[in-house]
Amino acid sequence: MALKRRIGVFVCHCGGNISDHVDVEKVVAGVEGEPGVAVARTHMFTCSDSSQQEMIDQIVDEKLDGLVVASCSPKLHMFTFRGMSERAGLNPYQYVHVNLREQCSWAHTDDKGGATEKGIHLVRAGIAKCALTRPLHALRVETQPRALVVGAGIAGMRAALALADMGLAVFLVEREPEAGGWALQAGKMGPEAQHGPDVAARLGSRIAAHDNIMLYTGAELIEKSGSIGDFNVKVRVSDEDVVDLNVGAIVVATGFDTYQPREGEYGWGLDGVVDLKTFRQMMADGKLEHGGKALRDVVFLYCVGSRQSKSEACPAPNTYCSRYCCTAGTFAATTLHALEETLDQTVNQYHLYRDIRTYGHLEMVYEQARREGALFVRWDPENPPVVEQGDDRLCVKTVDTLAGSDTLEIGADLVVLVTGMRPRENDQLNSVLKIPESKDGFYNEIHIKLRPVETVIDGVFIAGASQGPKTLAESVASSLAAVAKAGGLLMKGYVDLEPLIAKIDTDKCTWCDACLKACPYGAIEKTVCGDKEVALVIASMCKGEGGCVPVCPHDAIDIEGFRDDQIRAMIDASLKEAVV
Amino acid sequence: MKPNNDRPDLDYDVMIVGAGVAGMETAASLGDMGYRVLLVEKHSSIGGKSILLSKVFPTLDCASCIVTPKMAAAAHHPNITPMVFTEVDEIGRNDDGTFKVDLHRKASYVDFDACTGCGQCEVDCTVSVPDEYNYNLVGRRVAHIPFPQAVPKKALIQRRGQAPCTHTCPAGVKPSGFVSLVRAGKYAEAFHMHLADAPLVGSLSRACYAPCEGECSRSDTDGTVHIRAVKRYMVDRYYAEYPEPEYGPVETQRDSRVAIVGSGPGGLTAAFHLARQGHQVTIFEAEPYAGGMLRHGMPRYRMPKEVLDRDILNITALGVKIHTGEKVNSVAELKAMGFDATFVSVGNQVPRIIPLEGRDLPDFEMQDCMSFLRDTNVSDELPDIAGQHMVVLGGGNVALDVARTAIRMDAASVSILCLEPREKMPAHEWEVTEADEEGVQIFAGGSTKRIFTDDAGKPRIEFLKVANLEFTEDGKMKGFATEAGTEQSIPADLVVLAIGLGPSTKPFEDELTLAATGTIKVNAQTLQTSDPTVFAGGDAVLGPSIIVEAMGQGRRAAFYMDRLLRGEALDVPFGDELDVTDKQDVMDEIAEWDLRPQATLPVRPPRERIQSFECYEGVFSETEARTEANRCLNCAQCSQCQECVRVCPADCIDFSMKPEPMQLKVGTVVMSTGYEIMDPSNKELLGFGRLPDVISGPQMDRLLAPTRPFNAVLRPSDGKEPESIAIVLCNGSRDHTVCNPLCCRIGCMYSIKHAQLVMGALPLADVTIYTIDVRAFGKGYEEFYEQSKGMGVEYVKGKVSRIDPLENGNLSLHYEDMLGEGGLQTREHDMVVLTVGFLPNTEPFALYKGSELEADDFQYVREIDPVSEPARTNIEGLFAAGTVNGVRDIPDTVLHAGAAAAQAASYIQGLGGA
Repeated sequence: MALKRRIGVFVCHCGGNISDHVDVEKVVAGVEGEPGVAVARTHMFTCSDSSQQEMIDQIVDEKLDGLVVASCSPKLHMFTFRGMSERAGLNPYQYVHVNLREQCSWAHTDDKGGATEKGIHLVRAGIAKCALTRPLHALRVETQPRALVVGAGIAGMRAALALADMGLAVFLVEREPEAGGWALQAGKMGPEAQHGPDVAARLGSRIAAHDNIMLYTGAELIEKSGSIGDFNVKVRVSDEDVVDLNVGAIVVATGFDTYQPREGEYGWGLDGVVDLKTFRQMMADGKLEHGGKALRDVVFLYCVGSRQSKSEACPAPNTYCSRYCCTAGTFAATTLHALEETLDQTVNQYHLYRDIRTYGHLEMVYEQARREGALFVRWDPENPPVVEQGDDRLCVKTVDTLAGSDTLEIGADLVVLVTGMRPRENDQLNSVLKIPESKDGFYNEIHIKLRPVETVIDGVFIAGASQGPKTLAESVASSLAAVAKAGGLLMKGYVDLEPLIAKIDTDKCTWCDACLKACPYGAIEKTVCGDKEVALVIASMCKGEGGCVPVCPHDAIDIEGFRDDQIRAMIDASLKEAVV
Repeated sequence: MKPNNDRPDLDYDVMIVGAGVAGMETAASLGDMGYRVLLVEKHSSIGGKSILLSKVFPTLDCASCIVTPKMAAAAHHPNITPMVFTEVDEIGRNDDGTFKVDLHRKASYVDFDACTGCGQCEVDCTVSVPDEYNYNLVGRRVAHIPFPQAVPKKALIQRRGQAPCTHTCPAGVKPSGFVSLVRAGKYAEAFHMHLADAPLVGSLSRACYAPCEGECSRSDTDGTVHIRAVKRYMVDRYYAEYPEPEYGPVETQRDSRVAIVGSGPGGLTAAFHLARQGHQVTIFEAEPYAGGMLRHGMPRYRMPKEVLDRDILNITALGVKIHTGEKVNSVAELKAMGFDATFVSVGNQVPRIIPLEGRDLPDFEMQDCMSFLRDTNVSDELPDIAGQHMVVLGGGNVALDVARTAIRMDAASVSILCLEPREKMPAHEWEVTEADEEGVQIFAGGSTKRIFTDDAGKPRIEFLKVANLEFTEDGKMKGFATEAGTEQSIPADLVVLAIGLGPSTKPFEDELTLAATGTIKVNAQTLQTSDPTVFAGGDAVLGPSIIVEAMGQGRRAAFYMDRLLRGEALDVPFGDELDVTDKQDVMDEIAEWDLRPQATLPVRPPRERIQSFECYEGVFSETEARTEANRCLNCAQCSQCQECVRVCPADCIDFSMKPEPMQLKVGTVVMSTGYEIMDPSNKELLGFGRLPDVISGPQMDRLLAPTRPFNAVLRPSDGKEPESIAIVLCNGSRDHTVCNPLCCRIGCMYSIKHAQLVMGALPLADVTIYTIDVRAFGKGYEEFYEQSKGMGVEYVKGKVSRIDPLENGNLSLHYEDMLGEGGLQTREHDMVVLTVGFLPNTEPFALYKGSELEADDFQYVREIDPVSEPARTNIEGLFAAGTVNGVRDIPDTVLHAGAAAAQAASYIQGLGGA
């Protein structure tokens, strides 16, 4: 660099998250003499509005042309400080983020001296990188005012309607022959006591009447190309026909699967052991009998397929709570009670639970069930209930942990397993969309609180129970939240893409196609430059992932923001001795 | 495809009420879509309750990391207008589906545009109140920035009306202010603050009848704060240090010349305020010394003349000239001398004389009270009344002053004879009592008949018993009769008439309109007389009044005279006062242990005090003064001590700020007004509010937060690091005894978070969680719960029924052990955290006018169809986001807010063009 840089370095206490384990004042002292550093100081919370304002003032007053913020993970605040840089008139790509929290203070809580020294190395590297930054500008891409919604359960249908009401064209794709999802077989659903098929039918008729929505049933998404704001997708609508659609955003509302008990798990497979779905259908049919005998004793067994621990029988446990089942089970108790009265039939209910998780207002369902006479028996996973075939009917043995250690034996005409939710098996879709999954197998959001419906695939949003177990109302809320984000993207009319992408040095490039093979995003094309064939990066498709860089035999590729010269400078800077 | 965002008739496409997580998220979503969003927040910062949290479950991100990006996004979004410290008053729906909204920006007394958030006002503010942002674990100042991450980071001054003491002072002195400054040990600041309102600080500290003390909120319980005594300490200390004023004339001097006639408290005060505005002020005083009644009428034992002299320096230091011995005989004369305006404050010093049978008898002397007082107060030599029997006629304060002066002059006897019975004497009761103690004989209820000579040739005064004394409604005497045959007599060599004074307005009777009583008629608001350039005040207008009333008139006149001289209109109000604070509100807040009796000043015994004219009233020591000042209850929160004004580098504090009402038209409304936290003290047996080491869940969050008040987890009673912490779930949730059967939905999770964070902060501490069920239902929650068990958190299934204090300072928890041995058990812990329930915020119901906004059974805003229409209420176009329709955790709130945004967007699109 010909001109001397003027870099501002701001080190965050993070209220103590950093400064309890890294001496941030020493970090400042250790870096303020670095080449190009014009200002170096600390802040209690660099992300706070007032600190941001102070930094803006510094950038303006000190005529800074580079900025290093050493705070938490860039996942949290990179956009915060980019926005701040823009407000200060500094090109946002001349700001470099150093992660002093996750990569330093939190990792070295036992060694303040060492952590401080490491902090100095990290910040110096950031400064060295910053010194080599240059102004970059986002790529602006026009967005197409059309959206694809995958999955026409209640959440997907409602999302499609909301997008359409906002004036967007919507393609709603459902794998099954009929829209409606699980609601079609749900019967009466708690706690709102709405009838599943009715809800589906109501939304279905609104969709049919809406000019902006095209529904494809029995259809599958089979291909996706393009990028945020401008995806080209192929949908197989029948064995012969594939339609090509162009959309700006994709909302995935593929829902969940129900847990399928293993043979023998809590008596699964025995006559009279059913899941809740089956029992609800039974109640919807208005009959309280099994095998021709009127039901007298029904046992509900909760947490089947939820909150599991690893064991020989269960090598891949579902460790999570499925959230909806306690409400569904207790609501079934009240439905059963109402039906008893209608049929003038007495049924004893035993609800075998671990914790009853009828959170918030749902507690009233649990209260009603207890008030109406359902018995609740708490079991312990150390000593789970056993369901066996008795002489004439089923027998459930369980220890009532709240009443000493005696084992209860309950004779049952029917045992209802209240099963949890599983992520959808959907290899075809997953191979097309490539949405990452969280540990539990559900789709992973970027951040559960900050960006709960966004995925790392820009322009692809997740809704409803595809992200994790939810009640129906929660699924719909989440699908509308996805609509809000997709709507924000499409109604604005454009999207700015990261300029941190690959660049080809056409002088060096000899078109060997190694980069083309390495790129998972299909962002490399062959082109002709002057008299030779070279590689071309399609800017809107490149994610700056960098797989092409090391495979290039001529070092002809660099990633903006992570250029070779920057990385080398970072290594050199961090190797300098730091004295704490 | 574009958003419907250009209807010119709408001020905003959307108004969002409440800028917590839900409001900010809804705003950001709608802003991104291109709608013009107004985000209204009643607090001075956006962020809601979440920004006050320590970390958030289940990821243990710090709350700042989660909430500050949302705050920044809302604050800086080009389509979002955040409007903080603003209250919505009313929302109504228009026929075309849009909404009209009445709202007002509350007075923060800080110009937010100018405030830099430096926090200097907070440092110098003299009043502490419980810090609600730390859930009252610690105090904060009344001038405050709510919390470190506030957006916008602006200070505000918390005011609750005007303190009764300050409200009542006729002179506009702010006792609440200087008392709080004395409490803070800022004596010079206290003096200067008082001076700015009223310059005769020393005189008032000795001789003011202190109406403020009568209004003190404590006066009806444990005794008023002894404000005058606090002032006495403050001014004595200041004058000892500064025998001369520290200042000179103001820099900007004007050409306007003002004459002031009379140098009593009214005239001196007017002169002071006018000179501070740069006017050239001359005072004309007929007597040889300045001070008016303060000098001539006030006995030395109360009002030492050197204190008055020092007070007058406060005025003359500004360049005010006092011409003593120069009687002004007309306004015309002053105009001829070139004065542009005149303030007439000639007082009320013409004694009333009554004919008295026998007054010409030899060896008998009669005097009027003014000449007696003038002689004793101003002359170098006291008149000789040794051995004489003196009788003072009259029962007012002047009569008492005369009598008590005389008793210090070796008179053979001093008596007071007045028409009123003792309990109805116009003089202050304490004055009568003290006179009595000093040996003044009081003959109350007697009417003078005549002076006669007894057999020995000595003059005596004869009087009759008064019957049927009648008073008007305002306490003035109307008439009386005497009882025949009740004659009695006492010796009377000298009779002093103290039966009333009349206004000294005679010289002006041709130029100014006078009332029948001789007082000058003025415009009550401006004190302007019939001559527009002449103003009048003090006793010449009021008749006999107390010092502070006269001073108040001087100040008022100065305000309007200044405007007149600047050529400004006079039809503006004087002063800018809030309504007086309700004393009951103040007293309701204080605890039993807060009651402490008033400190009294030492007083010399009567026998000793009549030996000289020295002051007989003692003074406070510094400790006593500050201790007494500390009894002040800061009724109005802000004491108006003006320290913030003094130190603010941006000059942005403005006590005249008023609420700013607004009326707006918006396309749709989203209510995101959140929830309330239940006060766990309603579970009495659990001891919250009674046992200091029983704290609430929100308080625990503050103890663990990065901006934590003690920078450590300490138990409040003794600051010890707790070793065994109990976390008790479901206090006021799932609980019919407090009418809240709902599950609070987040208590289990935040308690598990507390347990994990405590174990990080205090690795040696044991943590036990008492539960009904553990409701870890969200994504990653069950794993978080399991993780806490792995860390060693003990879970006890059982409801805690009672918490008792133990002698060793620890707490004993009584609970039912449902899983272990069973039965009722007790266990000892050294600190207890009560996980509290939540309540609906019912504000939205009051805001919506027209039809009724529907509530659910628990007074949350009802979602009409949560399954397919989340966030919709029964009012079309009015949506409810987040916890306003049921408590939610942050992830669920964010999703619900997104849903509200989608709903609002659909609605706006449906509104179409204007």
